[in-house]
Order: sequence, then structure tokens, then C-alpha cells
Amino acid sequence: MDDYTIGVLTNIGLFSFLALSAYLLLITGEMSFGQQAFFGIGAYCAGILTAMYGVSLPLAAIAAMALGALAALLVGLPTLRLKGLYFAMATLAAAEMIRILFELLHFQRTVEGELLGPDGTQGFRGIRWVFESGVEPLHYLALIYVVLAVVLGLFAWIERSRLGATLRSLGQDPELAASLGVDVNRLKLGVAAAAGALAALGGVLYAHHNTYIEPRNFDIMLGIHSLAYALIGGLGTTFGPLLGVVVDIGLVEGSRVFEGYRMIVFGGLVAVLLVFRPRGLLDERVVHWLRARFS
Amino acid sequence: MAKSALFLILALASLPAAAQRAQAELECRFTGTDFVYDCLIRLKRAGEPLPGASITVGADMPSMPMAHNIRPVKAKPGKNPGEYLARLDLEMRGEWAVKLRLAGPVKDQLILHYDFDEKGARPVIRSGRLPRK
Repeated sequence: MDDYTIGVLTNIGLFSFLALSAYLLLITGEMSFGQQAFFGIGAYCAGILTAMYGVSLPLAAIAAMALGALAALLVGLPTLRLKGLYFAMATLAAAEMIRILFELLHFQRTVEGELLGPDGTQGFRGIRWVFESGVEPLHYLALIYVVLAVVLGLFAWIERSRLGATLRSLGQDPELAASLGVDVNRLKLGVAAAAGALAALGGVLYAHHNTYIEPRNFDIMLGIHSLAYALIGGLGTTFGPLLGVVVDIGLVEGSRVFEGYRMIVFGGLVAVLLVFRPRGLLDERVVHWLRARFS
Repeated sequence: MAKSALFLILALASLPAAAQRAQAELECRFTGTDFVYDCLIRLKRAGEPLPGASITVGADMPSMPMAHNIRPVKAKPGKNPGEYLARLDLEMRGEWAVKLRLAGPVKDQLILHYDFDEKGARPVIRSGRLPRK
């Protein structure tokens, strides 16, 4: 496999975590423009632990996920009281606040003669755990997809469980769910924390793939794309957001022939897609039809 | 895939000591064709030129790394030891994070931030300081 193919597949895998994070909130009826912040928190936290303190990647990932969940919980506590567009705006504001905190974060120490750590807008270089452990790009790609498969397995299990049905009921009609005894606020907070942890896990893998992160990596563009993945792919199944990532990155890569105009072409294609498939490619109707046909 | 995962689990078990870091400088010339630059990479380790490295050069824009990026190209050895040549076909002018993935005598990835325009490329200065290489 050549470097380019590995790079594209790695990107698809990495951003799938972010897509699944946004999807988890979308099925409970919440549209967050702020999942990129938790992706960034995971990236910074794990980068600090592995590069500055020599912690192994698996342990750093667990710590980063815990921090991502905690941050999402703290953002969720005041914002989940809001509805619809107000919640979307609040998550966007929270994400921008977190990004600005990254810009203000100067926390460095000398490791083996080299100054490492977040340096505000200068970014954070030298997250080399993967290189220093001798992990080749192909092996790292395998790691990403193994972790993604585990996450997908968890999603599949949840979707078939009573919890999955409850989560979808929150998205359809929260008042009805509450009248049936569902603790809507607590469940939504739990979902927000889980989505934060998932985004943070993606950030951990991203930082160690890239070896360098900076606050601009986690700006609003990433938040918009993370929502677009789920909306393009469809909300009918867990595989929808993954299909969304493949379509999104596929369109971006496939439109290279248009050179400088390719982002205009890309935007146009996404708009056309959403006009014809407003709930995405794998919407509930298609998923129902597929299940009836193949079960 | 299973083999790769097994290798990775074995790799996770041990952390080798860090090798001495490589450093790089970039000198890029605008070719006259839109957004195409011929770049000379000077690779050093401990102040000495570092020849014999295999360098894959990529680049992306920091604000949207997965959307604005280029296909990685292999750098060719230049005239002098430690020098390598690569042609970068960027999508637009502005700040790019140039990624040098090194293999051979040293395995590492170096990120260099440069501003590209019709005059060539210059290291990015933020808050009055040059980013470290």
C-alpha cells in the first residue's frame, strides 16, 4: 500500500471517531457543533502524557478519554437545558472557548535536551511515541481500525439493546420518553460524556499520527465536518456516519482534478446530495428496507 | 491486518530510547506555474548534514488538515550531502505545514511551517517568534 492510500485510509479512520461522536448526540436529538473541542482535549492530554512524561499510549488514551468525558459533562450541564439551535450555538461557543484556552496554554518541560509541550499558538511538536516505538504507518492504520471495530461493536450492541431504543426515543419525542419514566436529563448527560470520550479517543490517535497539533486544528471547520459526516451518511444506522466520512473524504480526494476550485465543487456536491437525501444516504427508510430484505 | 495488530501489541510492550533528533530547513522557489514550488530540503543531525535518508514530503493547511493537503512525494537526493529536492504542488498560497517523514538512518516526522507566495516560501512567524523545527 502506498503512502497516499495509507494517509487517506488513516484520515477516514481517525475522523470516523469524530463522526460517531456527533452521531451519538444526533440520535438523541441534539446537534452539537462542538465535538472538535473534545477531539482537541484528547489530542493535547495524550500528547502531554506520552511526549512529556513517557506514559504509554494505551494509558494516555484512557486518561484522555476520561478528561474528554469530564469536559463534555461540564459543557453539557449548562447547555443541555437548551433546545435545538440554542444548544447548537452554545456548543459552538464552548468549543471556541476551549480552542482559545489551547492558544493560551503554555506548558513545557525539557525532555532529553528538547523542550516539549504545548506552546500556545506555536502548537505542540514532538508527539513521537509512535515513531519511537517503531510503529510503521501500516501498523498504526491497523491499530486505528482495530479500535474503531471495537467501538462499532459497542454501538451495534447498544443499538440492539433497550438502551438503544431509549436513546432513539429521546431523539423522537423527549416528553413522551419522560412520561414513560426515562430520566431524560441524566441520560442526555451520559450520552454527552460518552460522545466526549469518543471524540477524545479520536484526538489521541490523531495527535500521535500527526506528531504535531495546534489550536487551529480544532476550529469550527472540523466541527462542521463532523456533523456533515453523520448527516451525509445518514442517521438510520451506526454505519451512516462512517459512510459519511468515506463520502466526504472521497469527494475531497476525488475532486483534486479541479485543483484550486475543488472545495467549491466539493461543497456543491454535498449540497446536491443533501437536497436529494435530506436525512443522509443511509436514512431510517433505507435501513428498514435493507433489514427487511436481508434478515 | 491481524499480523499488523500483533506487531503493534508487541511494540506497545516496549519503548525504545529516543534517537538524536534530526532538523530540517526548507528553501522553496516558485516555478511560475500556479502554486508549484521546487524545494530544497537541508537535513541535519547534531549540526552535521544527514545524507542517505528517505524523505516523503507532504503538506497540509493547519486550519483544515484533512481537506487542504497534497499527495505526498518522495524527495530526491540533491547535489550536496544532506540536501534533498522535492516539487510541491500546493492548492493555494498561504501557510502550509510541510511534513517530512524520514526513514533510513533516522525515523521521525518533522513539521515545518512556511508561508508560500509568488516569491517563494518563508518560515512562519507567530507572536514574533519562529516555530521550532
